[in-house]
Amino acid sequence: MQIAIASGKGGVGKSTVTASLLYFLKDEYRLIAVDADAEAPNLGLLLGVTEWEEEREHVGAKVARINPETCIRCGICHEKCPHDSIKLVDGDYVVNQLTCEGCNVCGLVCPVPGTVTLEEVRSGVIRRATTKYGFPIISAQLDVGRPESGKLVTEEKEWAKQLMKKLDLEHMIVDSAAGIGCQVIASLGGADVAILIAEPTPASISDVRRVYKVVQHFRQPAYLIINKADINPGFRALREWAEGEGIPILGEIPYDRAIPKSMAMLKPVVEAFPEAPASRAIREIAEVIMGEILK
Amino acid sequence: MQIAVSGGKGGTGKSTIAVNLAVALANRIEIALADLDVEAPNDHLLLGVELANEEPVTQFMPKFDYSKCTRCRKCAEVCEEHAIITLKDGTPFLMPTLCSGCRACEIVCPVPGAILEGSRLVGHTYVTETPYGFPLVTGKLLEGEERSMPLVVVAKKRAQALNKDLILVDTAAGTGNTVSKAIEDSKLLIAVTEPTPLGLHDLELILELGRLMSIPTWIVVNRADLGDVKEVEKLATKYGAEIVAEIPYSEAIVRSYVAGRPIVLKDGPEAEIFKGLADRVAEFLKEVI
Ligand code: SF4
Ligand code: SF4
Ligand code: SF4
Ligand code: SF4
Repeated sequence: MQIAIASGKGGVGKSTVTASLLYFLKDEYRLIAVDADAEAPNLGLLLGVTEWEEEREHVGAKVARINPETCIRCGICHEKCPHDSIKLVDGDYVVNQLTCEGCNVCGLVCPVPGTVTLEEVRSGVIRRATTKYGFPIISAQLDVGRPESGKLVTEEKEWAKQLMKKLDLEHMIVDSAAGIGCQVIASLGGADVAILIAEPTPASISDVRRVYKVVQHFRQPAYLIINKADINPGFRALREWAEGEGIPILGEIPYDRAIPKSMAMLKPVVEAFPEAPASRAIREIAEVIMGEILK
Repeated sequence: MQIAVSGGKGGTGKSTIAVNLAVALANRIEIALADLDVEAPNDHLLLGVELANEEPVTQFMPKFDYSKCTRCRKCAEVCEEHAIITLKDGTPFLMPTLCSGCRACEIVCPVPGAILEGSRLVGHTYVTETPYGFPLVTGKLLEGEERSMPLVVVAKKRAQALNKDLILVDTAAGTGNTVSKAIEDSKLLIAVTEPTPLGLHDLELILELGRLMSIPTWIVVNRADLGDVKEVEKLATKYGAEIVAEIPYSEAIVRSYVAGRPIVLKDGPEAEIFKGLADRVAEFLKEVI
């Protein structure tokens, strides 16, 4: 089974909760973890991974380059680039490598053959390690300024699937990226179940609603975990929304200083402070997941 | 003139900093705040305002006139997104969600009129007047759309069209090319981080981006009491960045965040920190103008 854990936005505790859930689930199931937040991966760090056992470069992104020797400075490319990625710098038309999407429109419109070339560049790396808990993790890191983080995530999941076959694993737990764009769509694509994490704030509801719409596109069953459940007493909108949509609530985790402390120690909170209120709540949620979702 | 606030990863308090800085700067200079976190825009919630003046953002999408199309497959060959598939006889079909709207297919199609102008709604931009003396420009990607780049580009243009002295940009999380697009043209990058191992990991990436874009970078350490600021200093030195403010963890900030009322409007030590930061930004602006 493939479970994607998503929140619509960072900072609501998605990776901490994911790491803690993995900590409990590992005793019962043969798992693989996938950190699909390729722009800011940290699940590996939280699971104590310090060295990667295998790294694969991902070459897939393309960026354009203009040869200043042959360019006649007509400016057509600059005018036609759909992403405004060609700038006039000291009299030369230059592609901004950090914003180019690699569509090659500049190459197609350029009147001087060979002036614009589309180059394949590294878009990032995908890595594999065995966590100290025994299960494998796949993680990716997008290179700074590169497009196509979605493709990186798709490739990560491919690798994870191969490993699942090879090692005869049962479940893939995917820690999705923030947002609702290509990375998240790639994280959710193919998942059997989505677990959403939100906190009771207007910003977090707004984000989780948006990611839930993406989940609905895929027609996946969704569940909700409410984190920092007590930071905003009297705020019922999150529960009401979930009830209205028919999204079962797996549990609530109280705000607990043990969580930031455990993150600073680079450990799942349930391992660092097993008796902290947050840890107990997560343990109960893990039991519900085992009983209801992974049964 | 433009300044960007970014943070590498989500949840570092980037939007809190951007919003409070905008409020604190608004009585000194004509500014616009641009929320370019188009996948999860939240600045309006932090400011307690409803988004207004909605404008659709559409993207080109080829439409084929099969009575004219000669099935030459050229359009499919140039599509870098592989959004066009062809049947055995060469008939092109579009897979709409893959299309980036770049028009490469239209440019190469040899038959006039075989590719028609289609379009698809990909999101909206908003310009909302706030009660704090500045407008907020917001880009919002439609759910199910994969590409945030067009929204970032259009929202940024809408902010520029307001002709303010300063655009303060709040970027998305991460360091991919849509974040670089949001930051592009900034005279200053303010990187927000937490002094934790995870925070440092993400800070390094955003500092790297600032370096690649040759933009002077400041660091604001949020929840500064959660970890060791010395580690942040080491990174700052490595990248020639400067730590300009340290904000302790504060219940008052959490409450103001939840209530949609910027903390800088209240009296208290947190407000003073933001005012101090605004002073520094104002000084910086004087120097570069
Ligand atoms: S490849 Fe596309 S995005 Fe890149 S510079 Fe050329 S036209 Fe612009
Ligand atoms: S279209 Fe070609 S020749 Fe014209 S400015 Fe661009 S690269 Fe140079
Ligand atoms: S507009 Fe660009 S992405 Fe869309 S089908 Fe045409 S070539 Fe492909
Ligand atoms: S390039 Fe034009 S004529 Fe050729 S297959 Fe595409 S639409 Fe038809």
